[in-house]
Amino acid sequence: MGLESLTAFFQYEFMRNAFLAVLIITPLFGLLGTMIVQKKMAFFSDALGHSALTGIALGVVFGVRDTNITMIVFAIVFALLLNYIGNRVAAFDTIISVFSSCSVALGLAILSAGGNFSKYSSLLVGDILSITRGEILYLLGIFAFTLIFWCFCFNYLHAASIHRTLAKGRHIPVKMIENLFAVVMALIVMLSIKWVGILIINALLILPAAASRNISENMREYHFFSLIFSLFSGILGLFISYYANVATGPTIVIIASVLYFSTYAYAYKRNV
Amino acid sequence: MKHKYGFVTFLLIVVAFAGYCFTVLYVGSREKEEEGYFVVTSFYPMYIAAENIAGQAENVTLANLSEPQTGCMHDYQLTPEDMKLLSQADLFIINGGGIENFLSKVAKSYPNLKILDASEDVELLEENSHVWMSIKRHKKQVENITRGLCELDEGNRGYYEEQKEAYLMELSKLEEEQEEIRRKVQGESIISFHEAYHYLAEDYGLTVAFTLDLDEERQVSAGEVAEVISALKDNDSPVIFAEELYGSEMAEMVKKEADAAVCYLDTILRGDYNPHSYLQGMEENIRVIKEAYGVE
Repeated sequence: MGLESLTAFFQYEFMRNAFLAVLIITPLFGLLGTMIVQKKMAFFSDALGHSALTGIALGVVFGVRDTNITMIVFAIVFALLLNYIGNRVAAFDTIISVFSSCSVALGLAILSAGGNFSKYSSLLVGDILSITRGEILYLLGIFAFTLIFWCFCFNYLHAASIHRTLAKGRHIPVKMIENLFAVVMALIVMLSIKWVGILIINALLILPAAASRNISENMREYHFFSLIFSLFSGILGLFISYYANVATGPTIVIIASVLYFSTYAYAYKRNV
Repeated sequence: MKHKYGFVTFLLIVVAFAGYCFTVLYVGSREKEEEGYFVVTSFYPMYIAAENIAGQAENVTLANLSEPQTGCMHDYQLTPEDMKLLSQADLFIINGGGIENFLSKVAKSYPNLKILDASEDVELLEENSHVWMSIKRHKKQVENITRGLCELDEGNRGYYEEQKEAYLMELSKLEEEQEEIRRKVQGESIISFHEAYHYLAEDYGLTVAFTLDLDEERQVSAGEVAEVISALKDNDSPVIFAEELYGSEMAEMVKKEADAAVCYLDTILRGDYNPHSYLQGMEENIRVIKEAYGVE
């Protein structure tokens, strides 16, 4: 396997699309992941991923041709609602679990009507061939949006994650920032769920950031390593999955896990 | 501080290298493509038919899209590996009738790929494309496949025709056996647990009284079980045609509940790539049906 088979990779339109998607989306995963890990929202993003099932089911029920749209709309509503209710109760994890199971059950019930669930089973593990040119345009849009959001709001978000009340006292619109963050999260998760798969999308958000957290000493390092890890596992995972003929999402996640455990061992030994 | 960056660089290189080695080991074990014509079939019965015609031909390499254990193509998803196969193919043999629901994707990605619909000019049952299950129709499919191969590889026409005649002979023998049984069981009704058996039933002149399509990954609701049982009672306990792999649980339960006879029939969707598997599978089906109806 030399250079020749490396270029063979780019002969195919679907691989070019997939490669572009990985280049755009994995840095976003790394970026958002840092805040998700910091704010201990891993469970939140997991629930968000699961809501995709209901989003698609609603699209099917209402006969919408592009289920992407219902999926995104539902996920945004889901995230905002979850934030809203979560702010009022003490046991946030219970609420998330309730929401998550509710939406999964609803989605499964609708999609399995008539015994046709297998048609949607690709959603669970992801299908790399589902990435189209149009979707890449969506991804570019969300990429720009996230970067702008990050540049302007990161400090606020960070402040809120350290001490909410104190942040409020400094006149930071904590609620709005948090809601915006949830919306961005919803958008990114929904736009990549079809090729990553519901079962593992959360791992992609969490693992690079968690691995980076193992060895970082400040915010800059935290972001830098998270980005590198995310991009690296994305690209390597895509290549391996192509040559070894396995699903792409899981391959990426396996690599990210290896990175996590290696950094964990490293940090443990050096007491970083 | 420096140590950390060094570690990360080292880690990434090691992981990338390990991934590379793993992939090379894994991929290296698979065979390389040979010279000559490269023919891809969509799934198992099509592969077997093509294998009987061109399996031994020197300048034709056959490949199948799905794994031999994939089964029906209803919800099949193309993998990157499949796209690679198709991009090299000179001819793509499909069963047709809409069972390959990814076909539009293929046609869009490879507009120049020659696609051979084996069910061309074959009369289909309504919304059911398990054509190969009817021997009569499968013979026609074999002829279509041979024609396609001959057009592709004109030089070997004589050989393909010869292979086809030999294979059709074998199929005709089975057909005669079926005819014999048909005379005795014609008009009886069955309950089918797989759409594929409708073609089989037609060959035997049996009427399908009720269908419950127990396919891969199919979830059955409680109401459907009750429907099956009431259908059994309404139709004076007909024979159940079921697939061993997906239908046996249901069949055994219904058997207990309503005391019906069950035929476990091969849908010839899975197996090794033995060229005789269609003949053997059908032979076995004939034996099972004979037994169920007590035909000598």
